[in-house]
Amino acid sequence: MRRLLIQITHRMQLRESWLIFFILGIIMMTFPFLHIFNKPVLLFGLPLLFLYFTAGWIISIIVIYLFMLANRNESKSTDEKNKI
Amino acid sequence: MNSVVSSVAAISIIYIVLIFFIAWYAHHRKETGRSIISNPIIYSLSLGVYCTSWTFFGSVGKAATTGIDFLMIYLGPSLTAFSWLFLLRRIVKISKEHNITSIADFLSQRYGKSPWLGALVTTIAFLGIMPYIALQLKAVSTSFFLLSGVPQDPTAFVKIGSTTTIPIALMLALTLALFSIIFGARRLVSSERHEGLIAAVAFESMVKLVALLVVGLFVTYGLFDGFTDIFDRFLATNPEKFSQLFTFNTSKSDPNYISTFTLLFLSMGAIMLLPRQFHVMVIENSDERHIATAMWLFPVYLFLINLFVMPIAIGGILTTGSSSGADYFVLSLPQSAGYRSIALLAFLGGFSAAAGMVMVESIAISTMLLNHIFMPIIVSCTPRSWFPTLLINLKRFGIVLVVLLGYFYYQMIGDSYTLVNMGLISFSAAAQFMPAMLGGLYWKRGNKAGAISGILLGFMVWLYTLLLPSFSKSGWIPDTLLSNGPFGITLLKPTELFGLTGMDLWSHSLFWSMLFNISSYIICSILLNQNEQERDQAHKFIGVFGGDESHRRTERKRLSKPVTTEQFVILMSKFIGETEARQSLAQYARGREISGDGSVSEFELPDLKRFTEKTLAGSVGGAAARTIVNHFLSDIGSSMEPVYDIFSSVRTNLDQNRESLFVRLRASEIITRTLDLHIIMDDLLRLLVKEFRFDIALIIAKNEAGSFSVSSIQGEDLQATNMPHWYLENVPFLHLVYRDKKAHFINDLRHEHAVPTLDRTVAEGFISCAHIPIYREGEPVIAVLSLFSKSIAGLFTKEFIELLSSLAGQLAQAITIVHEIEAKQLERSQKEAALLQTARITRDMEIAQQIQKSFLPDSAPIIAGIDIAGRCISAAHVGGDYYDFLLRSDRVVDIVIADVSGHSVGAALVMSEVRTLLRSEANSGRTPSTVLETLNDQLHDDLTRAELFITMFYAKYNSDTGILNYSNAGHNHPLLQRRDASLSMELDTEGLILGVKKSVLFEERSVKLTNGDILLFYTDGLTEACNSEGTMFDISGVYDHLKTCTHLPATEIIDSFYAKVHEFTGSQNLQDDISLVVVKIL
Repeated sequence: MRRLLIQITHRMQLRESWLIFFILGIIMMTFPFLHIFNKPVLLFGLPLLFLYFTAGWIISIIVIYLFMLANRNESKSTDEKNKI
Repeated sequence: MNSVVSSVAAISIIYIVLIFFIAWYAHHRKETGRSIISNPIIYSLSLGVYCTSWTFFGSVGKAATTGIDFLMIYLGPSLTAFSWLFLLRRIVKISKEHNITSIADFLSQRYGKSPWLGALVTTIAFLGIMPYIALQLKAVSTSFFLLSGVPQDPTAFVKIGSTTTIPIALMLALTLALFSIIFGARRLVSSERHEGLIAAVAFESMVKLVALLVVGLFVTYGLFDGFTDIFDRFLATNPEKFSQLFTFNTSKSDPNYISTFTLLFLSMGAIMLLPRQFHVMVIENSDERHIATAMWLFPVYLFLINLFVMPIAIGGILTTGSSSGADYFVLSLPQSAGYRSIALLAFLGGFSAAAGMVMVESIAISTMLLNHIFMPIIVSCTPRSWFPTLLINLKRFGIVLVVLLGYFYYQMIGDSYTLVNMGLISFSAAAQFMPAMLGGLYWKRGNKAGAISGILLGFMVWLYTLLLPSFSKSGWIPDTLLSNGPFGITLLKPTELFGLTGMDLWSHSLFWSMLFNISSYIICSILLNQNEQERDQAHKFIGVFGGDESHRRTERKRLSKPVTTEQFVILMSKFIGETEARQSLAQYARGREISGDGSVSEFELPDLKRFTEKTLAGSVGGAAARTIVNHFLSDIGSSMEPVYDIFSSVRTNLDQNRESLFVRLRASEIITRTLDLHIIMDDLLRLLVKEFRFDIALIIAKNEAGSFSVSSIQGEDLQATNMPHWYLENVPFLHLVYRDKKAHFINDLRHEHAVPTLDRTVAEGFISCAHIPIYREGEPVIAVLSLFSKSIAGLFTKEFIELLSSLAGQLAQAITIVHEIEAKQLERSQKEAALLQTARITRDMEIAQQIQKSFLPDSAPIIAGIDIAGRCISAAHVGGDYYDFLLRSDRVVDIVIADVSGHSVGAALVMSEVRTLLRSEANSGRTPSTVLETLNDQLHDDLTRAELFITMFYAKYNSDTGILNYSNAGHNHPLLQRRDASLSMELDTEGLILGVKKSVLFEERSVKLTNGDILLFYTDGLTEACNSEGTMFDISGVYDHLKTCTHLPATEIIDSFYAKVHEFTGSQNLQDDISLVVVKIL
């Protein structure tokens, strides 16, 4: 589990990963995806679209947070390298 | 009623005082150096200025009317946050480096410090932001009256009588302006951070978040039973409305994803491009690392502030039965439920949101106004001492102007739009900066023409399709323009331009404005060229993450007339005050080559100029700063002129470019080709003259007398130049170069007043010159390389001087090597002469040896009754040994053995003299003692003169009588070995060495020899022969050996002695001559 986390954060240091998530975010906010959730129904007592946005938003914040952690580790390790 | 109004007013005032105190405290902390602002949480909170009263009230309004797409306005910034790590960090880095004061300044500096672009961006921001400020004032004053209960129906959206509104909204506007002035325009340096302001903004962000959360919790869990309860009830009571709000389905047509995307796009741009966002994000950023935290914390903030918007909106609809007046549900719901304290908190939240936005926005816009609208006018006047005061007051005036214009806009058209719509007008205006901004950061070709035309076209489309309809809705412009188009041309209808129908107002405007904006930006950038200033700036902006120095373009300009530091200080003082000017210069001077008297090395000048520009840019913006400095320079008759670029081709790095490499290569070829210094110098100078177009190039060396002489000279037209006439003027420079080993140069003799003056040089038509020392590191200067040019001023750049110095170093190396070779050759010939001398001496010695040998008797005389033998074996060098047998008669023989001191030809000659003298007395019947006495007298003078002396033993043997008469002049005593082996004696008499003293008497003795006696005469070589341990053969060795060989004939005795000596020394070579004479009585 810990190893997985380290591996994920390692991948997130890549600039490409940023771009992919950024573009993915925009795609999720446009036509085809929105259309899937564009239904006037309740899911778990919440409107479907409201639920989609709220959950998506939380996930995106977590992703950015992980990115930041990864980046901080990276800058720390480069700092240490510089010290050596 | 009045009491309610006054209590609300009182609370507002208390709240304002509280914010004021927080701001003051933060400012105080900053002054004392313990900033509370410099932390990532405060930074993230200050970004919350994005959420204005539009968010606070308007989100609920939009949620209740058009539904969930309001979220796009906050999802957009959350998405943009992904890019901050490179996009925002890049912008912040660039801004810090260039002392950037606003987004207008950023764009203007990126596109060649263009004043026009700055003015354009400022105008757009200024016009675009008016509705936004109006919106804030409207929201606060409306909420104020809602809370104080002036309108009878709390949910109705009523235009309030002008008699009561004006004072409140106006007072609010003025209070905010005052606050902005105190914390945002205290000093002129706009690039400086305003910590008090940021503290206030961050605190307000906190208050509005808490207020909205409290209201949300109250509505969701107080009035209703949680989220699901609200949504369930809504679906049950009004399924049609539910469908409208929770999907993108409009009532009449298909799902409208275009408007959704428009909102997303606008908000993504707005979070970075709105002047206030740029201000808090970039200008007020205290540490780049805070961005990393803000990247997730700011989206969290947005998420939290929007979490309860939908429940509040639905709750409002359920409670009031309709969505009219939904803009103020936040306030009216607690109010109507009787929770006045929560309503009051909501009011304060809304007030905070509005106040923060107005303050930051007005400061940002007034900075832009000052730097890009007022400044260009001011800088065209001559700077005066009261300029700093004027400037700061203009900035304050700008703040008031911005706020008041917002107020008037609100007064005129404030009520015709909902809050969200007014905000979106501003967003659309800000979006016009996006192409120029992104292009400016990542596209090198993006140029000024593209940026200006793109922004201008986009702005015009925005004006026509968005602002015009907003005026028209308020009744300013006849409705026919909207419905029929101008002059009845339907194709030009502002809301359906070129017949584009079916789109909402925002998407329509965004589409057309972006189309014109982006295409014009790209087309102009591709078609038109950048000028030098633009290229320079573009490079600085885009190369900011390029990292190391070597990739930077170096300054290719020089000041035609040098300027002192003091002049720059005076210039800066006129705009930012003397104290600040001195402070900033002192900071700059640290660790640079600026001496106390304010003179600056020529290479530092462009840097200093750039620094002055940058410092001024911090106060008046980049474009104005550039104009100011250029005005100043032209006033004192100096200007930036391009350096004559010796290295015109693409530079790979500073000192390794093609031309310089070529010259270095050629120079090393010249130097290695020959050892003739004159050819090397001539060729090298010719190379320099040809490659760099010098008119005269010389190498001058100091001679022993201390005056200078020309070692080599090359030039284009040597005859035409009257050399000594003007050149003597330069001699002081040569002395200087010899003394400090540095290159001295004058780039423009016409402008720079050199000490000493070079009038005649100037009169000859030279305009630049350089004197470069030729020396090796750590060694004295050998000569000076002097270069003169008639055609090119500003020839000697730092790199060029370095190249020339390095060539001079190579030449010095060559000169030293040639000198070393010459010295070696001299040494070798001296050695050869010495060898020759030695050979001659050796030859001399050999000759002397030959002479000496020839003096010795070839064979022993044959005398009856005795066996006589003698031999001399010489050592390597000439010996001075001598022995002789002088036959006086048949029976009488004289035996002499001698040793002349010294081993030279001189000794040999003396020996010959001795021999001659002895032989001439051949038939005289003298006794040995008289012979020695005579000899001493005769030789004394010669010996003294030659500093020589002789030891000699003289014996006379008569075989008839068997008597041996003998005398000794200091020679080794001969040995007499009787037949009886045990009897042996030394023959000794008194006598001084020959040549010491005149008239010496020698004792004479005689001894009777009998059969079997053996006499051994020898020289000191025998007794003094040493073995390897240093022991001598000694007289005892001679005795011992003599006893063993008495039976042998005389010759064999001699042989055996030599054999014995060789055996003893262990060597075939003798250290000294050994002469032996043996006489055996038969």
